[in-house]
Amino acid sequence: MKKLVALLVALALLAAAGCSRKPEAAPEKPKAKIALIIESTVDDKGWGQAMHDAIAAVQKKYGAALVEYSYSEKMKPVDAGSAARQYASQGFDIIIAHGAQFKNLILELSEEFPKTTFAFGTNADIGPKNVFTYMPMSEETGYINGVIAGMVTKTGIIGVVGPVDAGDSARYNRGFWLGVKAVNPKAEIKVAHTGSFADFVKAGELAHTHVKANADVLTGAAQQATGALRAVAEYKDKPIWWLGQDTLQLTMPEGYKVIAAASYDYSAVVEAMMDKRQAGILGGENIPLTFRNGGFVYKFNDSVGPVLTEAIRKAAEQAKTDITAQTLKLDWQAVKY
Amino acid sequence: MNAGSFILNILILGVPFSVALLLAGLGETINQRSGVFNLGCEGIMAMGAFLAFLPPYFLAKTPLAPSANLIGILLAVAAGALLGLLFALVVVTFRAPQGIAGIGLQMLGWGTAGTLFRRYVGGVTGVTGIPSLPIPGLSRIPILGPILFNHNPLVYLAFLLVPVFWYILFKTPWGLKVRAVGTYPRAADSLGIPVARVRYQALALGGAMAGLAGAYLSLAQAKMFADDLIAGRGFIAVALVYFGRWNPVGIMGGALLFSLAQSLQLSIQVAGIDFPYEFAVMLPYALVIVVLALVRKARMVGPAELGKPFDREQRV
Repeated sequence: MKKLVALLVALALLAAAGCSRKPEAAPEKPKAKIALIIESTVDDKGWGQAMHDAIAAVQKKYGAALVEYSYSEKMKPVDAGSAARQYASQGFDIIIAHGAQFKNLILELSEEFPKTTFAFGTNADIGPKNVFTYMPMSEETGYINGVIAGMVTKTGIIGVVGPVDAGDSARYNRGFWLGVKAVNPKAEIKVAHTGSFADFVKAGELAHTHVKANADVLTGAAQQATGALRAVAEYKDKPIWWLGQDTLQLTMPEGYKVIAAASYDYSAVVEAMMDKRQAGILGGENIPLTFRNGGFVYKFNDSVGPVLTEAIRKAAEQAKTDITAQTLKLDWQAVKY
Repeated sequence: MNAGSFILNILILGVPFSVALLLAGLGETINQRSGVFNLGCEGIMAMGAFLAFLPPYFLAKTPLAPSANLIGILLAVAAGALLGLLFALVVVTFRAPQGIAGIGLQMLGWGTAGTLFRRYVGGVTGVTGIPSLPIPGLSRIPILGPILFNHNPLVYLAFLLVPVFWYILFKTPWGLKVRAVGTYPRAADSLGIPVARVRYQALALGGAMAGLAGAYLSLAQAKMFADDLIAGRGFIAVALVYFGRWNPVGIMGGALLFSLAQSLQLSIQVAGIDFPYEFAVMLPYALVIVVLALVRKARMVGPAELGKPFDREQRV
């Protein structure tokens, strides 16, 4: 009996000890000072804002005490050098120069400040040991938008307002082409470029040119795309639609023309850099953005009306599922338009 | 699309594309005819675009909404004239080098517009803007109707201003004074023409036109404002003045040529014609350079005193 009581007491003590033990805390992140350098602004409803919002979200998640954040806007590559040098000298841990145009600058500074982590993108190259690159696999979002465009078009002509045929825009356009052709092989996809990431007026002119050529669904990437969306909105009472490469376009006054939109969520990239740095890896890797790693967000416009049918929504959802599960491989490089 | 529709679309789109360049170019013609070139045109356009955008943006849901576009245009014109006067103060009264002062004005206008936009509006956003106003009867004429008579009111105004500016410049006493102070200010001064005052007036008018050009971009063409909306169009307008040989009709020709080339290159891309887009986007600029070179060959002669400050006391 004594043994039984002793056993029960021991079990009770163990249980009590178990209950009173504090849950094991997740390994804390060390303090990180992050700097962002961009050529546009943090509220451009496009390229710059996507990265800014991601860093701000990471800062909100871990607290301003843990993640210190500073940014410099309107930085041309020639000006960005002094800003990056200032940040590195002030002890910033991670300096993100958001744009492929900053490549040479970052590679130069990485040698001068070997303990600082630098990052630039979009770029698929593997950089030096303290430089991360990142590349959105935009063919994924392009494909889903293409599926919708292929199913929505009545004229069979679809217009693309591209900035330049390079980087993630090139991937987006080719993914879009694959998506359209997957559901509507007869559709004509007219791809044209403004030659600029930020010429809103020219993007609008190109959008009007597409519409005059009978395109009834348009899409486009980079911040200039807002100018094209604004042009599409001028055809208020006509069935001319837009597919966005930034979900902020859904909330703009012109959002009633946007059937659906995708966005980059760079927080996956920012957190990956923080984690790797904590593990002693300062760079030397390329971090992709995919649906699988949470690098993309995709939203339908629920108030766009009957143009977004259940069949279209299902087809787009299916495409997203297949891409995420990697059962659908997108050979975007093979697309010649 | 057949060849007829292809060409028609190029013309229909090219005409409104030309308006900002035409308005700014007409203003710059007056500037340069008075002996002053204003590289700050780009900055004045940015301020004009921003100020014109504000009333439609803030008054959209108020009883003043129907007048908001007009208020915006007036603000842009007034601000343009004031910036023109500021430029006159610097280059006419203080005799600062016109090129440097112009670049300073460009940065001032661009920076101020961008900063105020961020402060009071925020991110990129659009406005309803100025709607099209097809001219009854004329807009239904086959081919010419959609090319010439189916646009917003500022398009008509811009083309109507071409003969007005030509008349002012070549048929009025004030136009004669402007040309005189740009050609031989010392002689004009000896005849009692107030050189500085005429240059102030010319720069105010030129600035007002640049402001109007900016308003056209934000209210009638893009119907939005963004930090870099002008994107070099002010500098192109300055180049078109040389192209148009300081004559309003020539400026109109240059603006139309540039814009039709722009419309052509976009249409070539959209038509899927196998042509590298990198070359296509260069086409309008290359065309202007080529024509400028040809004009140069044809003995292009500008105002003799262009770019030179006038100092009555200076010995010659």
